[in-house]
Amino acid sequence: MDVKQEIRGYVVEHFLPGGQGLDETTPLISGGVIDSIGMLGLVSFLESRFGIEFMPREVDAHALDNLRMIEAVIERKLAAKQG
Amino acid sequence: MVLVLPKTTEAVVAVFGCLLAGAVYVPIHPHWPADRIADVVEDCGARVVLEVADGVVQLAGARGESPVRWDDALASPPGTLPSPERRDEDAAVILFTSGSTGRPKGVVLSHRAVAAFVRWSAVEFGIGAAERIVCPSPLGFDLSTFDLFNMALCGATCVLVPENIAWMPRFVVRYAAEKRVTAWYSVPSILSRMLRDGGMGLGICPALRVVLFAGEAISGSDLALLTAAVPGAIRANLYGPTETNVVTFYRVPGQFDGAAPPPIGRACPFAEVLVDESTGELLAGGESLMSGYWNRPEDTAGAFVNRNGRLYYRTGDRVRVDGDGNLVFVGRLDRQVKRHGYRIELGELETALSRNPAILEVGVVATQEQDKGIVITAFIGTGPAGGSLSLLEVKAHCAAALPPYMVPDRVRFVESVPRGTRGKIDYSALEKFARE
Repeated sequence: MDVKQEIRGYVVEHFLPGGQGLDETTPLISGGVIDSIGMLGLVSFLESRFGIEFMPREVDAHALDNLRMIEAVIERKLAAKQG
Repeated sequence: MVLVLPKTTEAVVAVFGCLLAGAVYVPIHPHWPADRIADVVEDCGARVVLEVADGVVQLAGARGESPVRWDDALASPPGTLPSPERRDEDAAVILFTSGSTGRPKGVVLSHRAVAAFVRWSAVEFGIGAAERIVCPSPLGFDLSTFDLFNMALCGATCVLVPENIAWMPRFVVRYAAEKRVTAWYSVPSILSRMLRDGGMGLGICPALRVVLFAGEAISGSDLALLTAAVPGAIRANLYGPTETNVVTFYRVPGQFDGAAPPPIGRACPFAEVLVDESTGELLAGGESLMSGYWNRPEDTAGAFVNRNGRLYYRTGDRVRVDGDGNLVFVGRLDRQVKRHGYRIELGELETALSRNPAILEVGVVATQEQDKGIVITAFIGTGPAGGSLSLLEVKAHCAAALPPYMVPDRVRFVESVPRGTRGKIDYSALEKFARE
């Protein structure tokens, strides 16, 4: 599965219709794209879609503020799961 | 004292410190843009600001005094506690909410107003020393008077959700279960995520005996999930704008069919409510009524109406009375909306957007959508040449000026915003376009 496209697809569908200008480093939380209730939904989506579980320290505005950071967290969790 | 903190132990301690010293606390969420926080600090003439700087909680003087670290303050010998003369009508808290003219309005609540709700809630829901309450709302939300002051009144335990798990429904629910939480009070949007994503719907919080919700309508399907999860628990829909705190309530019966949102119910015993016969507007008065808006005498005068020698707050909410005598929320008389329990004046959003020089004109509407609830769409007029703004830039502009919850969901760029014959923005047309 293409992790990057999956995450981008969710963000575009729920928060940024059209996705114009969205790149890997666009700030999502500090940039006003996702609010705190939206974050609850994003985290739940990522957990169920990728079969992972976040730990408390991993989820805050610093750890998931852009697509690249989210992808890195997901890839790390997937690797740990397989390893 | 302005508290720019999430709902942490320090913030709760500071609230009680303020009140013991005879001061007024003004809670503000740290996610607000810095300029907006500075405006509020200046507007309310705060002498002390409790904030986090470089990861350290500190007490900063608002007039240039050197900041004092929280830990240092705790380590220093206690001074003599002042014993201020305090009257029931003195201000206890100022809660800043969205203001239609583009600046947040400070709702001043007296000790009497806050205590009226808290005392009633303790009796109505049987809150006692064994209660363990979670209220995952920021301190600046009037919901947070429930847990904080039932702790003071009844000796209940206030269970604070750690900030690092607040965004993770599964952990919040697990935490609530571990802490043997017995009472929950939140906006329905948060409760919904806990039920659907956090496992609360599976009944993993067996100690829960009271679940209260307020701030927006709960959906029939969420209420059905809640009922299935905690069938024996008291479930109640509380209603009231910040200006009055809670004034009506509805205890959801065991047999509630779940097809539609529950009514807002009947007046609490400390409150008086009237329905304006010509407009259907709910007028709310009684002990929990605000003292007024901070520094805004004209807005304060406009907010109240005198009926039979008593003051009532004009809620702007249209209601009807159902066959059982319960009040049912029908809609708004103005352009205020509730999203995720947060109050948003669409006019304030328009004012903030119009400050962007690339935006020639703007009209903002809110529409109800099946799966998403309230959706806010900003129509931005860029002129015949079209503009260079992107959706991301508009969102970033809003995020720099407004709290995160006020950022519009959608933005549509148009040559010009439709207007009626008198030149006023045609909001009906915009709502129709927003639904397309």
